[in-house]
Amino acid sequence: MRDLHLPLNQTQRVRLEAALHELQTLAPAAASAAAVTVADNIPVNHEDNILKGHGTTDQDGEVVATLCGVVERVNKLVYVRTLRARYKPEVGDIIVGRVIEIAPKRWRLEINFSQDAVLMLSSMNLPDGIQRRRTAVDELNMRSIFEENDVVCAEVRGFQHDGSLHLQARSQKYGKLQRGQLLTVPAYLVKRRKLHFHHLEQYDVDLILGCNGFIWVGEHVVVREIADLKEDEQKLSAEAETFTPIETRRHICRLANAARLLSALGFTLTVELIIQTAEASVSSNVEINDMLGAEFYVQTAEGEAKRRGDLLGKKR
Amino acid sequence: MSAAAAAADTYSPAAEAGSKRRERREELRRHLAEDADWPRADGRSLHDCRPAFMQTGPTTAASGSAYAEFGKTKVIVSVFGPRESKKAMLYSDTGRLNCSVSYTTFATGIRGQGLENKEYSGMLHKALEGAVMLHTFPKTTVDVFALVLESGGSDLPIIISCASLALADAGIMMYDLVTSVSVSCLGKNVIIDPTSDEEAWQDGGLMVSYMPARKEITQLTLTGEWTDGKITNAVELCMDACSKLCEILRERLKDPASLASE
Repeated sequence: MRDLHLPLNQTQRVRLEAALHELQTLAPAAASAAAVTVADNIPVNHEDNILKGHGTTDQDGEVVATLCGVVERVNKLVYVRTLRARYKPEVGDIIVGRVIEIAPKRWRLEINFSQDAVLMLSSMNLPDGIQRRRTAVDELNMRSIFEENDVVCAEVRGFQHDGSLHLQARSQKYGKLQRGQLLTVPAYLVKRRKLHFHHLEQYDVDLILGCNGFIWVGEHVVVREIADLKEDEQKLSAEAETFTPIETRRHICRLANAARLLSALGFTLTVELIIQTAEASVSSNVEINDMLGAEFYVQTAEGEAKRRGDLLGKKR
Repeated sequence: MSAAAAAADTYSPAAEAGSKRRERREELRRHLAEDADWPRADGRSLHDCRPAFMQTGPTTAASGSAYAEFGKTKVIVSVFGPRESKKAMLYSDTGRLNCSVSYTTFATGIRGQGLENKEYSGMLHKALEGAVMLHTFPKTTVDVFALVLESGGSDLPIIISCASLALADAGIMMYDLVTSVSVSCLGKNVIIDPTSDEEAWQDGGLMVSYMPARKEITQLTLTGEWTDGKITNAVELCMDACSKLCEILRERLKDPASLASE
């Protein structure tokens, strides 16, 4: 939110402030009351056996926050959810990362966690699709699978006993991502859902919302059975594969800008909201390069305030 | 004769003007040391701090950052991490805290080199070490970089307070916010939050870094001449000021937090 540095004119500023104020009043009152800073007491009503979770500590029998954020309660568990801290992985999360190093039998990935994630060669599907022991030759050919700076999609497999994070990519849907844009947003803006891979058919675009706040917008890739691929087919299609139609590129840029805009405004990123914003920009004739301008920011904020207001009105 | 006097008026020699300024400063110093209720050069009374301005988030590239301005002293602190320790080293259960304090070339009246201040870096590390929960991020490092834009006295206490704000902004687990205040002893007076002039005149200095909610002192530095009774008073004065400063820090943290939670 505070990274917002826009050349607003007077009316735009007033409108933006009004919209933000509207949003603030719509937010449940409990949300603002639950905000804590370091060393604030968390009231627990002296209930017995409260479980102290992440970001809390015990001081003279009182529960005290050690982080800035919002207090969350799940039954007896009390923890602090931070808003600006780094991504905290959970097993099964789908993440997008960038390869920063190739080490023996493993790749190291930057995923916005406090440590680098490790993707072992043995937890990868080999390009030929055969299940077998990884040999020294495979190890030498690791660069043919992922190189440094490649963007990779994978799943969190688990933590080793020393706290390092391991990933796996044992499925066709995981792997190298090409021809698209990688956006980084604060991790808390992406909520854990059933679905993180989205194929937007109307645009022919793939959208991956990584739980770590890395978002991939790229050209749609058809997942094929590897056995079906013949050598000559591969050669023929190679030329077509390197080409992305200009229409698709436009769509990619528009969706990416929509995601950038929403994250700058601090709205939780969902597919519906991203598509909605992109559609709104089309219908109000905003060019792709004007989407990040002041006017569209204000429009989006106002639209969201109105949408939430309507939702709340319906509930009542 | 009259022509000579006029010439002296127009071209008042630098040495003379300098000596006048020196005299005025000497007078101020004497008052500060002897009078109990003489206003200081910037109009404060002896136990008044300078107005504090603090803000989070000046550096967007960092995980957390803070800016502090106390009178003429201006400081930016950026916090990076926790991130993988770059230096290949043995496995350690606890995290590492790296502190570095540097001055800009134009921070002081005399143009300097802008090098890292090793002494302050070490003291900043000592002050924060007790507050940061290092065991919560094993194998990783948190880097704290402080840059003094302008030095106007009490630099280190301001760096420490600003650094703890930046750490909280970065979402690093801490037992409490650390705030720090220094006092100077001049003659029979104890003055709080000294400017660089007052620091230069002081007989003795005391700096306290304090965690107000836990009522624990993380660092205490005492230099120069002091008497017993004065030290106790001075420490209490510092702790009181630290608690008040902590309130300002908290307000700063609450403010953007409520915005971002929308």
